[in-house]
Amino acid sequence: MEHAATLAGARAGSAASAATVPFFTQAAGFAAAWPRIEANLNAVIEGGKYSHGPLVAEFEATLAEYTGAAHVVGVNSGTDALVLLLRAAGLRPGEEVVVPAFSFVATASSVALAHGRPVFVDIDPVTYAIDPAAVPEAITERTRMIMPVHLFCQLADLSGIAEVAQRYALTVVEDSAEAIGMHWDGTHAGLQGAGGVLSFFPTKTLGAIGDAGAVITNDPKVGEIAAALRHHGRFGRTLDHFPGISNETVLPGFNSKMDDFQAAVLLAKLATLDADIARRAVLAAAYTERLTDCPGVRRLPTVVKREVETDAVFYVYLIEVERRDELVAHLAANGVGTETYYPVPLHRQPCFAELGHRVGEFPNAEAACAHAVALPLYPDLTEGQVDRVCELIKGFYR
Amino acid sequence: MSGPSLPFFPPDLFDDERELLLDTVRRVGLAEEQKFILGERTARFEAALRERLGAADVVACGSGTSALMLILRAMEIGPGDEVVVPAFGCAPLAASVVNVGATPVFADVHPWTMVVEPYEVEESITSRTAAIMPAHMFSVMADMPTMRALADRHEVRLIEDSAVAQGAVLDGIPAGRWGEAGVFSFVQVKTFGSIGEGGAVVTDDAEIAERVRMLRNHGQDGKQRFVHHVIGFNSRFDEVMAEFQSHRLTGLATRLERRAQIADYYTERFQPLVERGIQPPPPGRDGRCFYVYSLLADRRDELKRHLAERGVGTHVYYPTPLPAQPAFAEYAASDRFWPHAELACARILALPIYPHLTDAQASSACGSWRCRSTRT
Repeated sequence: MEHAATLAGARAGSAASAATVPFFTQAAGFAAAWPRIEANLNAVIEGGKYSHGPLVAEFEATLAEYTGAAHVVGVNSGTDALVLLLRAAGLRPGEEVVVPAFSFVATASSVALAHGRPVFVDIDPVTYAIDPAAVPEAITERTRMIMPVHLFCQLADLSGIAEVAQRYALTVVEDSAEAIGMHWDGTHAGLQGAGGVLSFFPTKTLGAIGDAGAVITNDPKVGEIAAALRHHGRFGRTLDHFPGISNETVLPGFNSKMDDFQAAVLLAKLATLDADIARRAVLAAAYTERLTDCPGVRRLPTVVKREVETDAVFYVYLIEVERRDELVAHLAANGVGTETYYPVPLHRQPCFAELGHRVGEFPNAEAACAHAVALPLYPDLTEGQVDRVCELIKGFYR
Repeated sequence: MSGPSLPFFPPDLFDDERELLLDTVRRVGLAEEQKFILGERTARFEAALRERLGAADVVACGSGTSALMLILRAMEIGPGDEVVVPAFGCAPLAASVVNVGATPVFADVHPWTMVVEPYEVEESITSRTAAIMPAHMFSVMADMPTMRALADRHEVRLIEDSAVAQGAVLDGIPAGRWGEAGVFSFVQVKTFGSIGEGGAVVTDDAEIAERVRMLRNHGQDGKQRFVHHVIGFNSRFDEVMAEFQSHRLTGLATRLERRAQIADYYTERFQPLVERGIQPPPPGRDGRCFYVYSLLADRRDELKRHLAERGVGTHVYYPTPLPAQPAFAEYAASDRFWPHAELACARILALPIYPHLTDAQASSACGSWRCRSTRT
């Protein structure tokens, strides 16, 4: 009884409070999915293995079906997935990986954690992804890989990336952490090159209620090595198999096992993922309709048309505006949450200071950092809340 | 009937916590703040552990393995540095060192207690040694007073791999507090096991704590988002885990006591079998914590089969010394040998020990054993 009351409360709460618009909530979706989540949690308890167990195995299989990936390796986070992917794809210490200057830090820190060196290139100002034309000048004899990142709502120019990768014999690894549901000519994000990753951080299009991630690949060797690295470098059966903890340690690995209670939540949410993606598209279109030609707004998300079929997934609705920080404060003062993806480009992060980059080196990345702001976007969001956010933005620039 | 009647890994570990688990996940999922990692629940859990240990700081993170890497990085141990680790133990002892770019140097262990030998550690220290990293093993804490003295004498850092020993106390000082930094692991099988992966760094050193806090969340300082001061990890703690563990903390002492009682019983029963080639761990409670009850047995594999046939599950931690694992072969000095580690690998056999094991079950494990030993 108490359950039912709380669940009803969660639904009413998010529907009623159009005045406050949090940057993120999944409470109503979680409440709707609760019967499935509860059943899955009971299955975790029945199975008796709470990480790297039967629910993780089931989630991997279901995700493989959804993405079409031959191998899915459930891990602890998107960041860990990147480190495992780089190592599994054969990055050797000291080798360079071309990455965009504009992304979440894990794009570049994963390279450093895998003992490689990130080399930054500028982004395309519309897609916020690596500009293939900027890649050649970053190439040295140590360059081994290129890591396109698919940010916010669309894929990087994967044809352009493939071309430049082929020219310089680079392995393509995709930071597709945000790109679940996106396809390039029918192939799911992350599966163009050696492999990709997914992040299931709660705010993601498919979100857990804590940290979780996955490596996805069609390359059996990459899949096998990544699977071993997440379990202390142990080969052989370890998933859903306790005695595997004494398997031979073949590689210096990590503990990056996924929790089964996270898999339980993810499996439950995966059932409505396509509907959630459709809902996000409706909300994104509502934002675009209301914000088109709004003074002070420099750029709205534009999905670039490619020579092949692609599909957009609005994980984040990101706009570029004048006086960004003032707008953010104005919205916050009126109960609207935003997120600044990202205030500092990677080449200017203190942790990469020793690479010696200067302001002005990657102008598109720097412009995005100065003007970009993400608006609330999640399936729980109502059209009324979109109205409220847009009215506040228009009011600010009036 | 699938599996042994007395399994080594209990499948019903949290059956009594079903409502707690469901409620916790539901509450966190629906909570107003929609905060899922490193929130108030994690802060409260850290504070509770801090208070219990009397430690200056406890930093919850992704796993015990990750905790070791966070400490190594916080101490700025990396390429060119050596870290002395036991030759017998779990892979993270060596992998954590390799993964931060440093070199593990293997020291042999005591033939009975299986913890690292102080004289072997001392022999392994060179001008490149940055740290020594003793590990508590199964039910026995390493000789921490001597490790502390060695670290002081040779001016190297002391990292305590206390992943398996949460709840042990040696000479009045809890496991985790002997080193400059120690670790805990909350993977389900541990003494304070949980419903997922998690760990913690324990330290009295404010600088280590501050650096670990940054390193566990991408090098951010906790004030300004998306500014990354150092290259960090994603090694964060889930709010669900924090709430679950906070609830379970109250019963920890009772569960530890139950483990110790079972261990006492086992040791008493096995003591008379020493001459038949079965060696229980030393008796006693100081510096002890019964995560795993491990015996050393002649004809171990036969015995394991014998017990399995009688429904008693056992496990062999670890069949291969660390320097003999393919992952670490390149760090195994060709002029050194680890005979005690090899012997341990050949003879070790761990018996079921968990708090909800009944007296009758413990007795039946011993019964199966005696049956075999009297036959030979």
